Order: sequence, then C-alpha cells, then structure tokens
Amino acid sequence: MLNYILRRIAQSLLVLLIVVFVTFSLPYFQTNGIMAPAYAVLGTHATPANLAIWAQQNGMNHPFFVRFWTYLTQLIFHFNLGHSYKQNMSVWGVIALYVPRTLWLALSALILTLIISLPLGIIQASRRNTVFDYSATGTAFILYAMPSFLLCMLALDAFSFHTLHLPSSPPSGVAPWAIFTDPVGFALPVGCLTLLSVAGVSRFMRGTILETLVQDYVRTAKAKGCSNLRVLFRHAFRNALGPIITILGLSIPGLFGGALIIESVFNYGGLGIQTVFAATNSDVPIVLGITLLVAIFTLAGNLLADIALGLVNPRIRIEGNAR
Amino acid sequence: MTEQISSEILHEAIDRLPTSRDVRPAIPKTDDEIIPLWRQRLAIFSHNKLAVASVIFLFIVTASCYLVPWLHPTNQTNQAATFNIPWNQPPSWAHPLGTDSSGFDELGRIFYGGEYSLTLGFLSGFITIVIGTVYGMISGFMAGFTDTVMMRILDAFLSIPYLFLLITLISIFGRSTTFLIGIIGFSLWWGNARIIRGDALLIRNLEYSQAATAMGAGKMHIIRRHVFPNSISNIVTVATFSVADAILFLSALGFLGLGIQTPQTDWGTMLQAGSVQIQNGYWWEVFPLATIFILVVVSINYIGDALRDAFEVRLIER
Repeated sequence: MLNYILRRIAQSLLVLLIVVFVTFSLPYFQTNGIMAPAYAVLGTHATPANLAIWAQQNGMNHPFFVRFWTYLTQLIFHFNLGHSYKQNMSVWGVIALYVPRTLWLALSALILTLIISLPLGIIQASRRNTVFDYSATGTAFILYAMPSFLLCMLALDAFSFHTLHLPSSPPSGVAPWAIFTDPVGFALPVGCLTLLSVAGVSRFMRGTILETLVQDYVRTAKAKGCSNLRVLFRHAFRNALGPIITILGLSIPGLFGGALIIESVFNYGGLGIQTVFAATNSDVPIVLGITLLVAIFTLAGNLLADIALGLVNPRIRIEGNAR
Repeated sequence: MTEQISSEILHEAIDRLPTSRDVRPAIPKTDDEIIPLWRQRLAIFSHNKLAVASVIFLFIVTASCYLVPWLHPTNQTNQAATFNIPWNQPPSWAHPLGTDSSGFDELGRIFYGGEYSLTLGFLSGFITIVIGTVYGMISGFMAGFTDTVMMRILDAFLSIPYLFLLITLISIFGRSTTFLIGIIGFSLWWGNARIIRGDALLIRNLEYSQAATAMGAGKMHIIRRHVFPNSISNIVTVATFSVADAILFLSALGFLGLGIQTPQTDWGTMLQAGSVQIQNGYWWEVFPLATIFILVVVSINYIGDALRDAFEVRLIER
C-alpha cells in the first residue's frame, strides 16, 4: 500500500510539472507574447523605453527555459509563486485571501451534495420506475441541462426578490469563517451549487446502485432472507461506494469551475472571479498560481479517493496497482 | 457470428430492456430471418418513444434555427434600425415574443442565436470526439510507457477546470466564431479520451484481438477492425454528451461576456441579457428561450442515453 501511495505521489508530481509547463508556456502565444502584461500595467501607450525597463525588471528578457527554471526553483525552494502585476500583491497574498472563501463554498456544497444525493439515489434505485423515481430523474435531467447561471438568476429572483427575501449576496468581508457566522447569507449560493451537483451525483448513484442490485450476491442475500433495507445498505450500497468515491475525487475541478459562475452571479469575491479577472487582464502569475493550486487540490483529491477506494474495497488493496 | 442473430433473440433482448414491459416493437417475428445489426439497434432505439420524440424535437429546432432566418428575415444586426422600435416590448402581433432590451425581435433572435449555439455545439462536440478517439485509441493500444506518458498529460489537463482553461485560451486567442469552435473543442476532449482509452485497453486484451495478433495482424489493422468497431458504442454516446456539454459551456461563456460578440449572439449571451431583465417582469426575454435551451440539451442527453442502450451489444447477444 505504502509503495503504491509513493508511486502515485511521484506520478502526481509529474502531472503537476506538466500543468506548470503548459500554463507557463501559454502566455507566449498571446499577442505581444509575455510582454502583454506590460501593456496592462503601463497602459497601451507605454513608450518603448518604459517597456524595456519593465521587461528588464521582471526578467522577461531571459530565454524560455531560463525563465521556466527560475520559476520552478523559486516555487520549489522558496514557495514563491511570483508577484501579481495588476494587483501589486504577491500571488500567495491573493491566494491566501480568496482560496479559503471559495474552499468553504465548495466544501459545504460538496458535503450537502453527499447528504442529499446518496439517499436520493438509493431511494430512486430501490423504487425504480415509480412516480418518485421518474420525477426525481426528470428534475435531475432538467437541472443537468440548465446553464448554471440561469438557475442562479431564477433562484435569486424567486427567493431573494419575491419570496423569503434571502440576502442576494453573501457577506463580502474577507473572513473565511463567515459561512459559520452568517449562514443565511450563504443559503442561495451554497444551495444553487449543491442543487447543480446533486443532479449529476444522484443520477450516477442511482445507476450504480441499479447495477449492484442485479448482482448475484444481492440475490443470494435476498434468498437467505435479508430485509430489503439490509440488502440495500449492507450489500448494494457498500459495493456502490467505490464508483461514487472516484467520481467525487474527479469532481473537484468541476466544483471550482462551478464556483466561478456562482461567484459572479452572487457577487462573492472568490477564486473564480480572481481567475477570470487575471486571465482577461493577462495577469499571468495569478493564473499560474491558481491553476497550480486547483491542480494540487484535484490530484490530492484523486489520491485520497484511490486510498479511500482501497479502504472500502479490499480487493483493490491486495492488487495495489489496479489502476 | 455475433453480428447476425435471429429476430427471436432480438425480441427476447428487447423484452429485457427496462422500458419494454408492455409494448412490443414492430419487428417481423420469424424464426429464420437474419436481422442486420444496424436494424437491431434502430429497433431498440425507436422502441424508446421519448428518444424518438427527442430526435424529432431536436431536428425541428435545428432546422428552424437554420431556415427561419432565411424564410422570415428579421433585423438582428442593424442596431441603428432598432431606434424606432420600442425596447422591452411585450409580445404583440408584430413581435410574437416581444422585443429585447436592444429592440431586436425576440423570436427571430432565438433562431438567430440558435444558429450560432447549435453550430458551435455540434462542431466543437465533433472535434472533441475526433481528438479524443484518436488520442484514446493510441494511448490504450500502445500501453506501456507511451500510455503512461499520454495519460499523465491527460491527468494534467483534467486537473485544470474546463472553464479556467477555456477563459485562459479565449483571452489569449480571441473569440472569433472559428476560434471559439476550436477552443471549446480543444478544452473538452480530455474526458472523452480517457473513456475511449479504457475501452481500447480492455478490447486489446480480449481473445479476439490476441487471436488477430497471433495471426500476424498489424496494430493499425487491429485498431481499425477490432478495437474501433467494438468501442463504437462508447464513442457515439460520449459524442452525444459532448455536444450537450459544448452547448452548455458556450452558454457559460456567454454569461461571462466571452460568447459570440454583439450584434451577433448566442443563446448564452441572450439568456444572460434576459435573466437580468426578469426583475423588471420582462418574462418573454428569458422563459421561452430558457425552455427551448433546456429542452434541446435534455433531448441531446436523452438521445445519448437511448443510443447507449441501442449499442449495448450485451443486451442483444444473450
């Protein structure tokens, strides 16, 4: 097991290297190349002298691989992600400010998703082809097909402007624990993000449980007289846990992507808005730093998912290199 | 021969489908007739009434998006000409779905925007499946070191959120319609490649592939004659879902103001502009389009589900 984890970590580091390489080389394809931020900082009418000074100050005159090497060594030995051109802050400052906010949003939505969609999927699978199943599947289909911003806007209109009068925007202070001190303010964004991911996860859960319900061991369990509930939870659910854990690990980038839309609709300064702002203003260090961070989250999530998979499924633990 | 079976077995297989308790499909029931594979699939697909309805609906919407702007042209691009037309006008005989906040005819604009949304959706969905299939097939079939390297590259791209990648690429390459197709296609193929690679890896180790190798078949031959035809079920299904995803991602871009540039438009941009107006009670700028949009994506997804059933060889064979 330890051997397996170590190998997975080594592979993840390789993947991170690829992510850094790709995001680092993308700005070279821009108009004005890596000097694009100079125009964003100094203005479009910057004199060539100013541009040259800026290039010298920011190390833009070095060849690609020298710059890449500098970036890597700074990152690995000094944990230095660079300096934001546009916001005049270190990238770590921006990350420390906004990541916790998005993380709380995404995490609470993830937990709520699990709490809602696992039982929902199980009930749907056990009462297959009933009115309840059809209506839940239909709702999931519609939610899945809806642009996320549209759902948010409709929710905003219904529950903020017409009924209930929930706050249309979460508290805008930078305290990451605001979600605990003012949960009502987060009701709409967290609710929308949850609803969007419940659509996918519950549908997947239903399919997985259905697949396990036709297995031989379920029939055996029924034959020896297990109650329906026992069959569902002891036999079907435990065997369906594997795919669910994998999907959860894979859904982390999706959560961050979804948070981007939620943040823009509900005007909540978080990671997503920062990324869009940085990308459209060619603030390369921020884009690099945030992409790297999300990639680390995703890889860690996948790794944890695989380890958890080994915990819930002894067969994988023995084989070790099932993937 | 697994590809040629009698109608008797097909009937049994259809009976085993979840949706076929009560009605039997209209296939001639003779014991000795051999039914070609595509007709078996068509029979299973057309047995699913909702899927057939989805195909018809999608066809009608697509056809009207491409034809209506020609048959009944409305002004959708000339902003100077809309000064005389009241903005945000409720539905009337002159404008069946009212006018939007720039004075454009809403009904005509739905079709006009749909032309862009659907074209981009279908084309970039097509790109994702072509790149994904080629990449996945090569990676799954080569196995070993090549596979490991190709999969790690895939992992790297899969760990970046699609939207972040899309936005970064758009801010670099601009957003002309052609580039948007390419960018969306390029940003969404990673997942497809992984699914198809899994298939290729599986089929490569099956007995018939090994038998072909033993008989001296080349790699390209095995990919063409064995791996590709046997993973076609996943390819078709994944392609369908990719089109729906591409349409959704384009709408998200429209919301962020990175969609098709005005005065041209796409459904995402229109929905964004309209959803701002719900608070003013201008329902005609959102709900008709939202209904069409959701139904289009739902029907594409539903067609994908039905296709998966139709291509599920195991349902036919046993």
